[in-house]
Amino acid sequence: MTQTLSADTRVPIRVPKTLIIWIIISALLVQASLLWIALKTPADVNLGIVQKIFYFHVGSAFAMMLGLTAASVMSLIDLIRPSDSADALARSFLEVGVVFAFCVLTSGPLWARKSWGMYWTWEPRLTLVLLVTLLAVAVLILRMLAKDSTIGRRVGAAMAVMGAPASYLIHFAVKWWGGNHPQVIQGGGIQNSEMRVAFWLAVVAILSSAAVLVATRYRAIRLQQRTQALALRLSARVLRRQRAPMETS
Amino acid sequence: MNTLRLTWLLLRKDMQVTARSKELVGVTLMFAVLCVLVFSFGFLQSGAAAIRYVPGVLWVTLLFTSSVSLLRLFAPEEEGGTLALVSMTTSGSAPLFWSKVCLQLLFSALVCALIVPLVLLFFDARLSNVGTVVAALGLGLIGQAVVGTLCAALLAQVRLKEVMLPLILYPMLAPLLIAGVKVTALSVTGVESPALSNWLSLMMVFDLIFMVVSPWLYGRATQP
Repeated sequence: MTQTLSADTRVPIRVPKTLIIWIIISALLVQASLLWIALKTPADVNLGIVQKIFYFHVGSAFAMMLGLTAASVMSLIDLIRPSDSADALARSFLEVGVVFAFCVLTSGPLWARKSWGMYWTWEPRLTLVLLVTLLAVAVLILRMLAKDSTIGRRVGAAMAVMGAPASYLIHFAVKWWGGNHPQVIQGGGIQNSEMRVAFWLAVVAILSSAAVLVATRYRAIRLQQRTQALALRLSARVLRRQRAPMETS
Repeated sequence: MNTLRLTWLLLRKDMQVTARSKELVGVTLMFAVLCVLVFSFGFLQSGAAAIRYVPGVLWVTLLFTSSVSLLRLFAPEEEGGTLALVSMTTSGSAPLFWSKVCLQLLFSALVCALIVPLVLLFFDARLSNVGTVVAALGLGLIGQAVVGTLCAALLAQVRLKEVMLPLILYPMLAPLLIAGVKVTALSVTGVESPALSNWLSLMMVFDLIFMVVSPWLYGRATQP
């Protein structure tokens, strides 16, 4: 079921052309957004140049949320109907989600220092991101500790599924705990049209890069699974050959 | 044999084993008392209002102590290698799960009965509405037992489980901890607040969600 003897040959060893094209497009998008943010957008009246962190910060936050949510969903699918591909997807989404969570937690305080005058404040959204990140890292460590065993895989998946309702409740708890704090983005959105373009360009570039990371990581895990299955099949064949003369005599 | 009866039998067996060995209860209670003591050293300064620290010390002690007893929760089955045998019975894994939840709940209730008076005594505090605090403690301990038992059961066969349990458990129990501390703080300071019922219902929702999700996940993840 989980460690099948038949190696999954649907995983191509050669890197698919679509993936290469996609990597190039993502790289160009990132370059374009960097250039646009550096050259076209004006510096913010109150925050100055630090405001430009915002574009990457929000994009990373989107990538983090999408990645961790997808990791929980794929883990749930893996628990209901175990398959190597669901497991590989769950793991790659989780890893990429954690990477972008660290991006959010690095860029956030830099912004906060300039905007609120301190690196960290127990504002609900910050607390939520910190707790969810800690939980995701814990699940990631758990998956790494029990990499190759069926039990470890199921335990990791179960914990990733648990994380979803827990995060939802953490969201409420920290919201009420933190009381009323200023929102980072007030209603009305971004007024400056250059800034709006920069914002969406950065979001698209980051999400595209995140997708590339997920795809490459997924491929790597699938190839790993294939190698393991092949090794298992080979050792089974060797064993059978060793035993064959004994059985005939 | 129906599920309820099997759960009771397993619970009775565990209670007998725990009562006979006695060390675990003693060690857990001792740990809880020491925890309160260490917090007093950490927080108390002469002249400062001690009452502010009561909710935090109380709930964090309960959280820390629960992870001590949770790590030993599945020890008899692990050492005897009987985990697979018990879950092979016709009723599936549910009786084993619920019997362990009940055992953990009994443990935490015992710890609670010792710790709450002790903290109130040490910090010279009085509870204004005892009923609410008891309800919060009850809801908190149920949630802690359900989520904790699931984590302990799943991590039983993972390397470094002593470290991994708190790593997973503490962020997941954050809503209960925050709500519990808030309710206790409102009770200790004697402030009447409409937020009280909000916090209690948050705890109730937490318990309900995980009482449904945890046994299902336990069955799924440990299924052979």
